[in-house]
Amino acid sequence: MSGGTEVLSEAEEAGATIVLRDVSRWYGNVVAVNGMSFTAGPGITGLLGPNGAGKSTVLHMLSGFLQPSAGEVTVLGEPAWGNPGLYRRLGLVPERESVYGSLTGYEFVRLNARLQGLSDADESARQAIRLVDLEDAADRSTGGYSKGMKQRIKVAAALVHDPAVLLLDEPFNGADPRQRLHMIELFRKLAAEGRTIIFSSHILEEVERLAERVLVVVGGRLAASGAFREIRRLMTDRPHTFTLRTSDDRRLAAALVGHASVVGVEFGAEGLTVRTSQLGAFALAIPTIARSCGVTLRELRPTDESLEDVFSYLVNR
Amino acid sequence: MIGIIAVMTLRQLLGRSRTILLGLLALLPILLALAYRIGSEDTDQQKWVAQVLFDGLIVTVLLPLLALVYGTAALGAEIEDGTAVYLLAKPVSRTKIIIGKLLAAWALTSVTVLVPGLVAGWIGLQGVPGHGLLVGFGIALVTGSLVYSALFVMLSVITSRALIAGLVYVFIWEGLINGLFAGTRLFSVRHYTLAVADIFVDLPRTVLDAKLGSVPAVVLMIAAIGATVWYAIRRLRRFEIGEST
Repeated sequence: MSGGTEVLSEAEEAGATIVLRDVSRWYGNVVAVNGMSFTAGPGITGLLGPNGAGKSTVLHMLSGFLQPSAGEVTVLGEPAWGNPGLYRRLGLVPERESVYGSLTGYEFVRLNARLQGLSDADESARQAIRLVDLEDAADRSTGGYSKGMKQRIKVAAALVHDPAVLLLDEPFNGADPRQRLHMIELFRKLAAEGRTIIFSSHILEEVERLAERVLVVVGGRLAASGAFREIRRLMTDRPHTFTLRTSDDRRLAAALVGHASVVGVEFGAEGLTVRTSQLGAFALAIPTIARSCGVTLRELRPTDESLEDVFSYLVNR
Repeated sequence: MIGIIAVMTLRQLLGRSRTILLGLLALLPILLALAYRIGSEDTDQQKWVAQVLFDGLIVTVLLPLLALVYGTAALGAEIEDGTAVYLLAKPVSRTKIIIGKLLAAWALTSVTVLVPGLVAGWIGLQGVPGHGLLVGFGIALVTGSLVYSALFVMLSVITSRALIAGLVYVFIWEGLINGLFAGTRLFSVRHYTLAVADIFVDLPRTVLDAKLGSVPAVVLMIAAIGATVWYAIRRLRRFEIGEST
């Protein structure tokens, strides 16, 4: 997989099931996606980013529900926009939890099978429901389903025609840990069979557990892409900021300034703010430094650990 | 495929509490006809049935109102609650989707307005010849339902405020403007409907006075159905689901 705003090479596009070429999408004056390019092939790719980053817009363009304002989106070699025939090979799990509330789970999945034109809609529906482990509730009205059950029946509906590409918008919303684990196993199995799975999430741990490759989307741009370990390393190696409350801020500040892991020290109303470029070295050094200069550490608190801060760093690095 | 979509839509529409309430509203003509037969001293039953029951209540109020609710909900309710994605993310031509939705809205509107309308007309005409009133209005209601349904299904594809747009059409355009400017009746489903009824009714103009000729009305009806269905399909082909909707 590759990504960024650079021009994609032929090698990158060869074998890719999903290609975005310099894609932008705007709503009036608001730019939701800005010059994004990436390819993805079989396996699980996570779209990671804070709320409002443009993940859903990317998924909507991939699923043919939004026309790119500029650029080109292809899925399985075909344009995604204005191409209903593509849905024979594409499955979609939307973020909104709404399903046809008057239908039972089985009827809902069978309806999806019939709309796909499957010859044996009944058996296909049963198989898909079995996949998501919802056989016990299949004959109940979906209107009475929990959030997690609705997620699973939506996944069954998306899988009923055995698609080559599966797009999942925040698929774990409302799922309890057991359901989450089951779905993770299911998606891994589907990916191992050669399917391309793209899913969006704003939760790092979800992406870490499921995605083999990650696209970090922030402010409508692709901030980073690659294997999850690479992204995790970038996130860990970024400069970190801590707030310290001690028995003697000035003495500790003087001691810290000379340490190689520290790039800045400031006094503030909340105490001492320390910026470090080497998280591991700083974490090991701070107790020793404090003890050596006779200062008691009362509080050590990271101040930039929100996901938004991490994403902002990736964008601006 | 059209049948699957139409049946699914009917099921969705019938599952809504609004549909049940409107079904009760459709009983109003029967109650009115019973009240007329029991309490009124008006002896011109044909005139009452044509002008008060059919034109005044059913064609002017009930038919457009029912068609508006069912027509805009057939696809619009799914767009609004997000379930339209399950239909649109299928390898189904947008023409079939619109036709299926239209058939469902048309069937529901026709049945809901036609059955109580005919029963009420039959009650109102007891003891006098109908001179084609029941047949004429029966056919007019079915054809009028189709034009209204096509119009309102189209509105639901082009705007999220289809119900308001439809109410403006029914009560401002047809109810007010058409009364003030005769030329605007060329674009009035209500006048098409009355003109179709007039083809089958053998009564003087003092009883039923359709403002449009039958031939232009039928031609305009066909044109209106064709244009609204064509435009709805065209808009659905370019329909977007995303942050903007």
